[in-house]
Amino acid sequence: MRYARVYWDDVKVGDELPALVKGPIQQIQLTRYAGASGDFNPIHQDDEFARAAGMGGVFAHGMLSMGFVGQAVSDWAGAGTVRKLGVRFAALVRLKDVVTCRGRVLAKASKDDVHLVELEVWAENQKAEKVVTGRATVALPVRG
Amino acid sequence: MPLTINKAIVGKEYPPYAVTVERGKIKEFARAIGDLNPLYLDDRVGAASEWGDVIAPPTFAVTFRDEGADTGALLRDLGTDISRVLHGEQEFEQFHPFLPGQTYLCRPRIVDIYEKTGRSGPMAFVVRETAITDRANEIVATMRGVTVIRL
Repeated sequence: MRYARVYWDDVKVGDELPALVKGPIQQIQLTRYAGASGDFNPIHQDDEFARAAGMGGVFAHGMLSMGFVGQAVSDWAGAGTVRKLGVRFAALVRLKDVVTCRGRVLAKASKDDVHLVELEVWAENQKAEKVVTGRATVALPVRG
Repeated sequence: MPLTINKAIVGKEYPPYAVTVERGKIKEFARAIGDLNPLYLDDRVGAASEWGDVIAPPTFAVTFRDEGADTGALLRDLGTDISRVLHGEQEFEQFHPFLPGQTYLCRPRIVDIYEKTGRSGPMAFVVRETAITDRANEIVATMRGVTVIRL
């Protein structure tokens, strides 16, 4: 169930996050993200501009895909638990692409009453090509 | 003839700028991602939470911009233009969630510039870090972005 509470005690190394499927990506979403984020680079809006720039057409803001990954992590761990999120943009996301975000628990650590879980996170397109790869750290509550 | 990137700006600090987080902006940003978490969108859920209000999603700091600055300044400093720029990497570290109505101070600086040749030819990587503090001058978040310039 989405937004269920996850306790640090119950998390095991190797656990996988529920997959979050986003898209298909539509131009209107890129326009909306441009307005919300303030990134009006025409390369995400204007196909002619993107072709002239040698990019073969419009593609999605990397930050939109990172937003999807952030959602996958906070859907699982809870909003406000994400302490660190770092990604590399490995491939372009195009219009009509379906982006699936995934993650896996790499490690657990506790220090000074803060209970952390480190995750490997990534997003892939419908051809199973990784478009985003990265790491996240979340702080979780403990039972008790 | 490939572009030459101006590496002299490594270490350059851009003028600090203040941003005040707007409630509507948090919601607009969450909806643009399609992230409908009630802790971002529902004021009552926010009020009942441990933070006492709605909070911003994990990548929200990307909306923090210096409204008074010329947005082309960095690209001009580097000697390039927006059609040659790609986003290579991004990282956020968050020590406390951003809350509506709060004002934060952002201090950007260029920490590194390096060049590499990839599949699509020579590229320059510009690493920018921004420290974000609250009114009490406590660190709230840091962001680190790598911009790729196709040379």
